[in-house]
This record gives sequence, C-alpha cells and structure tokens, in this order.
Amino acid sequence: MSAQLSARATPGAAQRQTAAWASRLRRSHLARRGYFWFLIAILVTVVLLFPLYWMAVTSVTPITDLLTLHPRIIPQLSHLELGNYSATFRTYPVFSWLANSALITVGTVALSLAVSVPAGYALSRMGARGATTAGLLMLVTRVIPGTLLVIPFFAMFSDLHLLNSLYGLILADTSIIVPFAGWLLKGFFDSVPREVEQAAMVDGCSQWTAFIKIVVPLASPGIGATAIYAIILGWSDYLFSKTLLLNPTHWTITVGAASLISDLTVNWSGLMAMGVISVVPMIVAFILLEPFLVSGMAAGSVVG
Amino acid sequence: MRARESATLPRRAAGLPVPGRPLRPARLSSTGRSRLFHLVLLAPAVALGLFVIGYPLYLIIDASIRNVGLPNLAALNATPVTGANYTALTSDPLFRQALWVSLLYTLGGTIPAFLIGLGTALLLNRHFPLRRIFRTLILLPWAVPAVVCSFLFLWILNASYGVLNYLLLKAHLISGYIPWLASLHWSIVGVIIPTVWKSYPFFTLLILAALQVIPKELYEAAKVDGAGQWATFRKITWPGIQNAAYLAMVLQLLWTFREFEIIYPITAGGPANSTQTLAIYLYNEVFQFFHMGYASALGVVTIVICVILVVAMFPLLRRTLWRT
Repeated sequence: MSAQLSARATPGAAQRQTAAWASRLRRSHLARRGYFWFLIAILVTVVLLFPLYWMAVTSVTPITDLLTLHPRIIPQLSHLELGNYSATFRTYPVFSWLANSALITVGTVALSLAVSVPAGYALSRMGARGATTAGLLMLVTRVIPGTLLVIPFFAMFSDLHLLNSLYGLILADTSIIVPFAGWLLKGFFDSVPREVEQAAMVDGCSQWTAFIKIVVPLASPGIGATAIYAIILGWSDYLFSKTLLLNPTHWTITVGAASLISDLTVNWSGLMAMGVISVVPMIVAFILLEPFLVSGMAAGSVVG
Repeated sequence: MRARESATLPRRAAGLPVPGRPLRPARLSSTGRSRLFHLVLLAPAVALGLFVIGYPLYLIIDASIRNVGLPNLAALNATPVTGANYTALTSDPLFRQALWVSLLYTLGGTIPAFLIGLGTALLLNRHFPLRRIFRTLILLPWAVPAVVCSFLFLWILNASYGVLNYLLLKAHLISGYIPWLASLHWSIVGVIIPTVWKSYPFFTLLILAALQVIPKELYEAAKVDGAGQWATFRKITWPGIQNAAYLAMVLQLLWTFREFEIIYPITAGGPANSTQTLAIYLYNEVFQFFHMGYASALGVVTIVICVILVVAMFPLLRRTLWRT
C-alpha cells in the first residue's frame, strides 16, 4: 500500500502539475459550459417575460406616445409617468375590488385546504381503492367545463340568495380546486410512510393527533405547493365572478380590470396599469412560495 | 426512569398490556376503527363535492331534457320533459363549427406549450449561475391571471399598434401587419398565442420536478459508455419524465378544452364565431340568448366527448394516476 503510494508520488512535481492542470481545465470547462447555459437562460427569459415587461412599460407611457407605428422597445425614462395609475385609482373602486379578490382568495384557499387535506390523507391510506377514486374524481371534474357549471350555480345561487355574495363565490371556486387539490395531496401523503403514524399511535397518540401533529407537518411542502395552486386559481377566477357577482361594488379585480375592455376606445395605458395592479400580488405570492412548488412536486410521488 | 420507559416500549409495540396501565376495551377492531376514521375525514369533501359538483350536474342533465330558457330553478321544474334539445344539436352548424374550433384550439394551445415547457425544464435542470432566480422568472406567467393575460395580448396583438407586428416586421418575418384578432383566419392563432404563454409553465414545473429525481449516476454511466446527447435523452431522460409529461399533457388538454377566461374577454367567440369553442358557445347560449336547456344539452355532449377521449388516453395515465 505505502509502496504504491510512494511509487505514484515519486515522479513528483511534473505529474502533480499535470493533474492540477487537468483539474483546472475541467473546472474552467465546466464554468464555461455553465456560462453558456446562463446566456441561453437570459435569452429565453427575455423572450418569455417580454409580455410582462411590455405591460409594465405600457402602463407608465402616456397614451399619446402609445399609438405609434414605431413603439420604443426600451423607453426613454424622461417620457414615463405614473399618471395612469393615479387616474385608474381615481376612476375605479380599485381598492374595494382588490379587497374582494383578497377575501375570496383567502376564503377559497382556507376552505379548499380544510376539506382536501383530510380527504387527501384518507384517500392515501385507503390503498388501491383510494387511488382509483382520487384519480377518477380528479379527471371527471376536469372534464366539466366551468362555463357549464356556472349555469346551475347561477340558478342555485339565485334561489339561495347567494348571488352577489362572496360566500357563494368561494363555494363556486372550490368546485374547481378541491378535486385536483385532493388528488395532489393524496400523492404527497403517499410519500409519508404509514410506519410514522403507526409508531405515533403505539406511543399513545389518537389517530387524529397522529394525523395533525405528525403527518401534516411532514407533508407541509406538498400542502404548500397545493396552496399556491389554490391561491392562483382563486385570485385569477373570472368566469364565476363575472357571472355570479352582478353588482360592480362586489366585483373582483379580474372582473373590474376586464370591464375596462368593453369601452369603445380602449385606454391602453390605463388597462395595462390595471393589469399590473392585479398581477403584482400574485407575483409577490409566487416569488415567496415558489420554492415549495418544485421541491414539493418532486418530493410528492406526483411525478415519480 | 429511562430504563422503565425503554422496557415498556417493546411491550407496547407488540400490543401487550403495559404494566401499570389498564387495558383499554376494544370496541372496534383497529382496521375497522381506522376505516371509520378515514370516512370521517372524507365526509366534508364528499359533502362539498355533492353541493358544488354533484347537484349542479344533476341540474344540467335535468335542464338538457327540458326546453327551459332562463337559468332559474322554478322555471326548470315547470317545464315539461322533451328530447328536442338533443335533436336540435344534430343539425346545428354552429355546434359542428364549435367542435372543430375546440379541437384546433386545444391542440394548438397545448402542443407548443408542451414543447416550450420541455425545453425550459431541460434548461433549468442544467447547472449555471443564478439558476434559482431563472426558475422563478420562467415559471412566472403561471401566476398571471388568465384575464390579465388575455387583455395583455389584446394589446400586444393589436393590428395597428401592437408590438408583435412591429417586431415581426422589423425581423422581416412578415411583409405586412397581421390583423391577429380581427381576421377569420388569424383569430384562432390570436387566441392560441396567449394560451401557450399562460400554460407552458405548468409543463415546465411538472417536467422539472420529474427531472430532479432522475439519479445522477445514470448520466455518469451513460457518459462512461460514450453515449451521445440524443441517446442519453432517449434512454435516460425521457423514460424518467414520460409519466409526468403524459399526465401534464392530459391535464392541460382538458384544461385548455374548457378555457373561457382567455378567449372570452378578447373575442367572445368572434369574429363570425371563428374562436367560438364549445365552452364559449354554451356560455353565450345561456347568458346572451337565454337557452339554458340547449346549452345544458351542449354541455352534456361536451362531457361525453371528453370522457371518451380520456378513456382513450387511459393507458398513458395508468401509471401515474392509478398508482397506489
């Protein structure tokens, strides 16, 4: 052993230097490849995010500079103004629309998770029958067009005096979220071994305590991923809000923003400002919660 | 103290009575009790599902066999049963057109989104600086509400002042401005573009998650064996992600098929019904023309078509969806 080592070492400096070179070469090669993909990533991101950039730029450009055949892709800073935003806030009840959207989103996420977390867990522990049920229900409900569901909702809610009500809208929104969320969560709970809760129960936990105190924390990345899904769907909803909220003071931000289109002459700057206002909360939520998404999806057996 | 604790543990684990603790009388067997517990946990979801999906579906089927106009429960009960809606459907040219538009829109919106999603997922699985930030940025369109995406592209695709026409002309890819949303031929492309932009991140996300669980050793082994890029992709990467890809594909196809929020604010199905998918058609039938019965029949047929398609795609899904 020691003979081997010394045999390798004796040729000495020259060989050691080659090895060092090789490793440096390999590292710089890797780094260069890293920078190549870095450049590609910049290019791809610029192209894919251009629409969002354009929305932001348009929203701070005066309308007179907008209707031109030669739009400036990179605008002159001195020409930009925030007047469109103040005009939008003055003309429309933007704050109450935002508040309605926020209430509906929070309510939808809370109700969806409260219902689908236990359901996902139960389906996960019911073996083959649970798997089939969850998968089938998720697919079947995906097949029902929202525009079809909204018809009976309209009839039911006018009967129950739930038109124009945020509660009604929360219920309607869960119809889309719960089946998919339940199925998604079932996948996450599958990755929590049964032995964990069995051990807890052996130690004297009730089934409920074992579920709440042991299993739910272990599945929290998956629950986080599901929550983002529900937040985005709840905030984005337009079909149900448009149809079931008839009174402009009850509108959500999406319906309010889209109502600006129907004017005969569209005020593009104002519309884009409205777009930015309605997107910013989602972008902030997304940036904060995004780490859950990929890790959650990879941890759950959703994709494995 | 600790010694006693460790002595009782194996006894508990073996189900033996622990000294000093009374034996709890068993009312239900342990499997029966956990089955009951699972049913209790399922109950709220079932109740909610019956209220927001089951009962509405029943109402739709009921309305589809009645000649009812306004979406109103009292009117529904007062109208006699008839098969007229379904017979009218067979000779409705708008229905056939909507079917065709739906097919075009669904495939046109999903396939490019899949390719962009696959490409970006493979890119984000490489090692390069600031990868985390790029991942967030590339997934960002997913967080944009469909309506916002819709009117954003209404502006970008504007025939006279839209930036897309300007850029394409500058790049000499077109010789004159394209009326994306006003022309009968282009309008479908005009609604497909925002759809693709909005839906590619879903593919990126699911495929990236699948890529991250492929063991790195496989790639090292492939390198040692001198496998080329394409061979590596076909033999290692694709098998690793195909289940996720199929699942994402089917989910997105169904999602695009029922899309309302992107098409409706921009075109509402026009011009001349050239972007009127089945989802848009049945919405217009109810809330513009007050044909609830007919729209419900349309909806029932739509669901049946989807179910047939989904059943046809079952073999692709079995491994992801039915896994226990």
